[in-house]
Amino acid sequence: MPIGSSTLSVRPDTARRTGNGKPRRARAERFAPYILVAPAVLIIVALRLYPLVRGVNFSFTGDGVLNGQLVGLDNYMTLFDDPLFRQAMRNVALLVLLLPVAVAIPGLLATFIYLRVPGHRLYRVVYFFPAVLSPVIVGAIFNLLLAYGGPFNTLLGAIGLGPVDWLGDRRVAMFTVVGVHVWATFGMALVVFLAGFATLNSSLLDAARVDGASLAQEIWHVIIPGLARTIQFVFVTTMIGMLTAMFGLLFVMTNGGPEGSTYLPEYYIWIQQGQMNRPALASAASAVLFVVMLVVGLLQISVLRRSGRED
Amino acid sequence: MSGVRAGRWLIAVPMAILALATIYPLVFTTNVAMKTRHEYILDRFSPAGALRWENVASAWGNAGMAGYFVNSLIVVSCAVALLLLFGSMAGFALSKLRFRGSRLLFLGILAALFIPFQVIMVPLARTMADAGLIDTYPGLVLAYVAQFLPFTIFLMTSFYAGIPDEIIDAARIDGNTLYGVYRRIMLPMGTPALLSVGILNTLFCWNDVLISLVMMPSAENRTLMVGVTALRGQYSDDIPTFAAGVLIAALPVLLIYLFFQRQIADGITAGSTKG
Repeated sequence: MPIGSSTLSVRPDTARRTGNGKPRRARAERFAPYILVAPAVLIIVALRLYPLVRGVNFSFTGDGVLNGQLVGLDNYMTLFDDPLFRQAMRNVALLVLLLPVAVAIPGLLATFIYLRVPGHRLYRVVYFFPAVLSPVIVGAIFNLLLAYGGPFNTLLGAIGLGPVDWLGDRRVAMFTVVGVHVWATFGMALVVFLAGFATLNSSLLDAARVDGASLAQEIWHVIIPGLARTIQFVFVTTMIGMLTAMFGLLFVMTNGGPEGSTYLPEYYIWIQQGQMNRPALASAASAVLFVVMLVVGLLQISVLRRSGRED
Repeated sequence: MSGVRAGRWLIAVPMAILALATIYPLVFTTNVAMKTRHEYILDRFSPAGALRWENVASAWGNAGMAGYFVNSLIVVSCAVALLLLFGSMAGFALSKLRFRGSRLLFLGILAALFIPFQVIMVPLARTMADAGLIDTYPGLVLAYVAQFLPFTIFLMTSFYAGIPDEIIDAARIDGNTLYGVYRRIMLPMGTPALLSVGILNTLFCWNDVLISLVMMPSAENRTLMVGVTALRGQYSDDIPTFAAGVLIAALPVLLIYLFFQRQIADGITAGSTKG
């Protein structure tokens, strides 16, 4: 950034305004930092921190006729007895299992782009493009493509496969939705990986190549240790994305179905709050989701930190 | 050496196929939007006979996308303007001014970054209802500002931290108040970061569906993305018009992507390298 030139351009503008009532200004200035942060603090406290506390409180009160009365852990009991919520938690476990794949795909692609495969400049631009689309748009488009009599099955039929009921088969639907989510978001992680590569010491790679390392060895011994921090960041953000950014897809593509097989906690919360009018139960589900996110985040950080230290 | 060459081309083939798979769904949708219903039913893949804009016009007019578009435009522009204003003010104070509790405050804002909307959605809706802000423009604007402010502050703070103190000291010696420094130094010098975080926030708000669903329950207040989901039910037997509606909703985002790719990438990676 041209810092030198902007210093100069600032001067003539400000040089004219000199010397005016210093003592009074000093007093007003003491409060300036607080005034500058005041709007942000007010909004964050009132509309994020206060609701968080209020929500935890809600989760210990009842719904309907018990509105506002303390019911202890009843909501949490109901929650874990509800097959839909249990399915949502099973799907969270599935997401955790699929997480390494969702991280490895952009990681590998970024590696190839970094190693300058033919056309690498183009791929960088093209791969990122779905990441700017709303999940609603992505879901709507894939609804058309993946319909039972739709184009994707026609294509598969042409090479003698399928048809697969991508969104109507309860054993397949969740994988379909996750697949579409990965399609829509891998570009985001790719960009982060590429930024990580920019900080990688390329002489290490050159040395490995001189020593005759294969691509797999390069990745395992040079790239992964060198990018430990980036990989950690991508793991955490990808998991957060899977837990909080799939609502649009679920809403448009499956509505949680078939037979509740594509429920995730966020969808469950929305249904209980918006459709079933059970805000207290929804609040309990929110609290569980929050704990899940904390645990997943902390676990990943500690695991990755330990593996980083051994290297 | 030639073995390595060949290996690279071998990798390039699946990567090219993936690139096609990335682009094709939107090409397909655009093509469908240009077809008549009859053409679509006969053959989904064939190129549309002509560039027909009837479907787009009918989605825009009859299906009500125009109204949703205006709703989105109003809400998103207000939210982004407030985000940039409050974010840069707080970012300046947190990066350059030492005051009591500033460290604690920064940590609190970082923590707020990790509260997803889903976790606070029920009580937030109730708080908004208490304040009479549910189903109003200001209510949705505030919800967006609250959702994306921690991220905005985080980015602005780390950007401003890179501006040398000497520039601020010089402006102070020239007689500027802190507000003057904010207006004459921090705002203009922060332009690249403001542009980047502004574009990202525009995308986040424009693409959102859940916050809008919760905060704007009535049909005439729908934002564009909620409008698209409603369109799906209305036009389930008229796929070309539905595709045209999808296209209308995606178009602004595609334009932003074409013009501001670099800024988007900068904003996303800023968190990964500085966090």
